[in-house]
Amino acid sequence: MNEELDSQLSAMFDNELPAAECELLARRLSRDEQLKARWGRYAVIGATIRAEGGVRLNAPLASRVSAAIASEPALAAEAAPQPRKRIENRWWQPVASAAAVAGVAAGAILWMRTQSSDLTPAVAQTTPVVPAMAALGNIPVSTVAQVNTGEPETYVVPRLPTHRRLVVPSTELANYVVAHSEFSSPVARRNLLSSFMATESGTAGASGGSEEITEDVQDDAKTPQ
Amino acid sequence: MPRPRSERSNAFALSSLFTLALAVAGAALAEEPGKWLERMNEALTSRNYDGTFSHWQGGRVEMLRIIHRVQNGAVSERLVSLDGSGREFIRTGSNLACYLPDKRTVLVENRPAQESLLSGFPTINDQSASFYDIKEVAQTRLNRRPTHVITVSPKDEYRYGYRLWIDESTAMPLKTQLCDARGHVIEQVVFASLTLASKIPDSAFKPEVSTEGFQWLRSDATPSKDVAPVDTVVWEALKLPPGFKMAVRKAQTLPGSTDPVDHLVFTDGLASVSVFVEVKVRPQPPSDSPDDAPVDESATVGSSSAFSTVIDGHKVTAVGEVPPATVRFIANSVQAGAVSGGPPPAVGPRH
Repeated sequence: MNEELDSQLSAMFDNELPAAECELLARRLSRDEQLKARWGRYAVIGATIRAEGGVRLNAPLASRVSAAIASEPALAAEAAPQPRKRIENRWWQPVASAAAVAGVAAGAILWMRTQSSDLTPAVAQTTPVVPAMAALGNIPVSTVAQVNTGEPETYVVPRLPTHRRLVVPSTELANYVVAHSEFSSPVARRNLLSSFMATESGTAGASGGSEEITEDVQDDAKTPQ
Repeated sequence: MPRPRSERSNAFALSSLFTLALAVAGAALAEEPGKWLERMNEALTSRNYDGTFSHWQGGRVEMLRIIHRVQNGAVSERLVSLDGSGREFIRTGSNLACYLPDKRTVLVENRPAQESLLSGFPTINDQSASFYDIKEVAQTRLNRRPTHVITVSPKDEYRYGYRLWIDESTAMPLKTQLCDARGHVIEQVVFASLTLASKIPDSAFKPEVSTEGFQWLRSDATPSKDVAPVDTVVWEALKLPPGFKMAVRKAQTLPGSTDPVDHLVFTDGLASVSVFVEVKVRPQPPSDSPDDAPVDESATVGSSSAFSTVIDGHKVTAVGEVPPATVRFIANSVQAGAVSGGPPPAVGPRH
């Protein structure tokens, strides 16, 4: 998905996209699988925030979009969760009980920035991707201006680690990852399995796999002596 | 106008009391950081929860869902990628299944029943304190919930550090950052929603993915102690990074393979590295091969590292949540020791 589309989707979710563009995008949403997936993720976070009461999402948005996606039951279920659906589809809805809800984290706090009434449309249109990514808990935020100060909000994206990239795990490596994870600390284990689950593969079919392990990409790493 | 002496005395007494209280609180606080890590590990492994979180690493962000349940001593767990790959990892008791729709493959491993996930992870001990600084750096609110911010800073470059936002009432980590030795964030997990439920139904641990037409690769359910051949080479690491010690040695068969591997686990109390040694000797490359020297290979899975090499004809692969140099160091230091007359002795917390 290109950045422009992502920006538009983010703006639409914030109800900051002009009506005409919103209709166009909603139409596209109904036939673009990738865009749907992105929308689904926004919906997950939106539902969470609504339940927490931290942020009020704009109701008209839901109705505008629902018209376009009504023909897509799966997507409609994500965008407008139905509490009485079967339980497998209810996981994103936090239990309302305060005791049962352990919390919504920084993603929600950052998301709130986009809801500030002082955030002008101009700002939203020039930096629309930022809140969307931050809302996904994407980026450690170094500097976040206070909401409602009237000042444009700024943040600093930390330098990405350039010396590593995600490689496609082979089936063999997958076996090793899973076997190792049994001996990791709980947090490390979750991180490791998350990375593995999130890895997209460009190849199909099972493979013996050792040839899929890529060349060393950590040449700058110093071997300890 | 000067205050009466008695009032000043009372004020002094109150002030002293307050100072004393602060001192006591400070002393208690000093003991807390490590305890918070213990409570967090306890919460993550023993509570029932269902959460959605974002996982950021290497410039990519993915949403995942985790469901965890401990019921009658049996751990059930499901981790699902909500984005692209649609992969799922499901544990139900001793059965581990990894659904890889992108590879149209399911990896299934049956663990011996006595092996419990709860006892497998490393535990922080006095020795770990020599290699990490563990501090509480702040008490703050994360989405209106009081949290304790705990940092675990490595003292050298053989390991990574953590910054953890631990929920005060549940001890669940609402946000975690993995940092390199210089403090740069290289991986981050932030919960978008988290529900601690008293009961989670069995249906929550069924895969969503349809496995029609998938290839199923299963491991032999034979207990690990029976897997090892009669004449077994005992593999050992001649040299390890400071603080790392071998915690587990076992033989096991992995899904899709009939050949066992020796599995050695090294830990410094926080980070762990697994070394897998293929028991079977690899065939020599063809004589017309331009280069018959084995080629070392590296890979990363998120912030974890893998390194593979060939030692005495055996493929040796190290995997761990440590910097690349550390897995390379450990893999390269593995050597075949004495030949024993039986299966390798099992050491570590599981046996």
